[in-house]
Amino acid sequence: MAVKHTKKLFIKALNKKFATEQKLLASKGIKEDNIQDTKTGYLRLGPDQSARKREFMEYAKKLEGKRGMTGYNPYVHCGGIPLGQRQLVPYKLSGTEYVVEGDDLHFVNNPAMQQMWDDIRRTIIVGLDMSHEVLQKRLGKEVTPETINNYLEILNHAMPGAAVVQEHMCETHPGLVDDCNVRVFTGDDALADEIDDQYVIDLNKLFPAEQAEAIKAAIGKTTWQAIHVPTIVVRSCDGGTTSRWSAMQLCMTFIDAYNMCAGEAAVADLAYAAKHAAVLQMSEMLPARRARGPNNPGGLSFGFMADMVQTSRTNPADPVKVSLNVVAAGSMLYDQIWLGSYMSGGVGFTQYATAAYTNDVLDDFCYYGVDYAVDKYGGFAKAPKTIDVAKELATETNAYGMEQYESFPTLLEDHFGGSQRASVLAAASGITCAIGTGHSQIGLAGWYLSMLLHKEGWGRLGFFGYDLQDQCGPTNVFSYQSDEGNPLELRGANYPNYAMNVGHQGEYAGISSAAHAGRMDAFACNPLIKATFANPALVFDFADVRGCFGKGGAREFRAAGDRALVMPAV
Amino acid sequence: MAYTPQYYPGSTSVGINRRKHMSGNLEKLRDIPEADVVSIMGHRAPGADYASTHPPLKEMGEPDCPIRQIVAPTPGAAAGDRVRYSQWTDSYYFAPSVPYWRSYWGAINCKGCDPGTLSGRQIIEARERDIEAYTKKQYDSEMTDVALCSMRGCTVHGHSLRLEENGMMFDMLARTEMGKDGNVYAVKDQVGIPLDKKVNLGKPMSEAEAKKRTTIFRVDGVSMHGKVGARKYDEAVEAMHHMWDLRSKWGYRPE
Repeated sequence: MAVKHTKKLFIKALNKKFATEQKLLASKGIKEDNIQDTKTGYLRLGPDQSARKREFMEYAKKLEGKRGMTGYNPYVHCGGIPLGQRQLVPYKLSGTEYVVEGDDLHFVNNPAMQQMWDDIRRTIIVGLDMSHEVLQKRLGKEVTPETINNYLEILNHAMPGAAVVQEHMCETHPGLVDDCNVRVFTGDDALADEIDDQYVIDLNKLFPAEQAEAIKAAIGKTTWQAIHVPTIVVRSCDGGTTSRWSAMQLCMTFIDAYNMCAGEAAVADLAYAAKHAAVLQMSEMLPARRARGPNNPGGLSFGFMADMVQTSRTNPADPVKVSLNVVAAGSMLYDQIWLGSYMSGGVGFTQYATAAYTNDVLDDFCYYGVDYAVDKYGGFAKAPKTIDVAKELATETNAYGMEQYESFPTLLEDHFGGSQRASVLAAASGITCAIGTGHSQIGLAGWYLSMLLHKEGWGRLGFFGYDLQDQCGPTNVFSYQSDEGNPLELRGANYPNYAMNVGHQGEYAGISSAAHAGRMDAFACNPLIKATFANPALVFDFADVRGCFGKGGAREFRAAGDRALVMPAV
Repeated sequence: MAYTPQYYPGSTSVGINRRKHMSGNLEKLRDIPEADVVSIMGHRAPGADYASTHPPLKEMGEPDCPIRQIVAPTPGAAAGDRVRYSQWTDSYYFAPSVPYWRSYWGAINCKGCDPGTLSGRQIIEARERDIEAYTKKQYDSEMTDVALCSMRGCTVHGHSLRLEENGMMFDMLARTEMGKDGNVYAVKDQVGIPLDKKVNLGKPMSEAEAKKRTTIFRVDGVSMHGKVGARKYDEAVEAMHHMWDLRSKWGYRPE
């Protein structure tokens, strides 16, 4: 059972958030502020009030001499009126004790956020069975646990970019590519026992027993390689490189491990398996008009995103927490990086996205809604999967959330944009419906009802695009037409109506996750993804997304792909 | 029997006010001189000629067609005016109008306009002399309170922020200010360029007056949902449930 909703979780965050403002106001002789007051003093202190903005300005001053031209200068803003006319307040990462400045949550300033995306796009899953069949049936080679261990030892030498078979090769510095690794996982416990522990993702140890059994049953006796190529490779190239890089090293390793001829046609079978027949990309290739290869964020389905996040195995009893870590991961990747940078190049996307994973607001609304559903229907995923239940749960959750914004002016101010409020209210409604019923489509129905009720109550919603996406959205919830009728888990960032607006895709991923978290499922969409991202050797901690973002913001996170080893010291 | 538009459901003051905005049957509260409205809009100097993007329609030799016979051009279109805008920001704290209702008002009552609706701002674009007339109507009517609403072409931040201690909506660019005489003055145009002379916009509404005229449902005013544990849905919610239900089912089975 989730934490019972006994108090408003965002109050502590708001008190932390506005503590400095309250001190400032008091020092100016203005009555001590209260988070429920509708009026306040605006001190217009400019950027100097923020430690981070001061750091930026000081650094920019140093750079100016070095660069010989101007750069960062907030005083060019609005004819000399810099930002900071209102108090600049920090953000608490939801569910953690991290409090960071807003700037620290821009992905450029946050190495953990970058690493999350790097860890996804540098990952590829390749089946071993097809290659083993080629070796055994076509080449007459013996494949045993011993040969597999030998192969994996060679592969963990080769995959980072080192030579096998060939002479006089240029290799990568191990210190630059130390995040690269390959482990295997299988539903066959007997085989897993025979593989050297260092090369195995041990499903039995990493997952709760019931989840491990479910994943093993789904995988069966097949064996898969969870491959993570070096971060520095995908940062220099892109996600489309991952399958090429890995396939090359896989083939070279097979040649070495099984004493093959380097030029024989059988190698083509191994390459075909590694690049196409036995491969699972993290995301689909996009249509030509979006011009991105596979393993780029635009093709990443919500179901895969839900399975990459691992909170479902570390905190299975708290489906809200599971869903909200998915929301955080999705908001950061889809909003800040995909729509905000790949597709748009804007600065404002960080503000949009952070509303969903800071200051315990979405947490509070979700716990309220889920507790309401649990009280009424007797547990997670116990409510009937009907449109009437979506209507009831979404209306109640949305109403509660709107009332909090109305009752706490600092909360409204925290989510100062309508898109932020719309996303948070609809996500809470959708997650409540999904956890309550265990059905993602009912969750989606709740999302859209929240949008309509929100607009009706306040006479405003989000940015222009919300008009289309959310007001006509109910028609695609239960549609089975080919261009719009997928289950939510199989929809993704490039689904027709979803490709335009921030504040949606991460939340849709959260709703996908919520349905399965409510049902206590081991995975939402694909067991291979869930198993692969359980790899403890990943740099980003996919079980604690928000905590990792906080570490990144607090400058406590070490990302991979550092080039300091081969550059002069600063 | 002639059709009488119903516009909006509900018997609360919010429902009634929403119907008033949509019908255009609005009370006039003040009379801001045209020249002052033009200077706050900032597109042309008061008294200056209108810039045009094409000759007057009468000189264009347009082809005859049934649509041209049915639809008379607006004065701005007839003269060939360029298209300009006015954009409003309305506070959450009981501003009389809200973005969708400004848009509905424009779409229903203002010929030849293009409303755009966001959360923190609402824009209407139209031919220049037309938008000037539409803007004056908004300024003068009960749609607008001079402390809780302001024209902001850019840097609109403020609709959801706490009010200043004097009851004004926060504005980063401080385009309006509260005078010692209790009147609100516009000191900058829509995009924050200082005006040659301050424009007296008059006194703001009292909180009670704003609550009476608002089109916002709020738990501390007219609630749309009743309260936690004692839900009582406004007719607006029931209407929206009905529409959502039909839209969802139609998507499953379009017929």
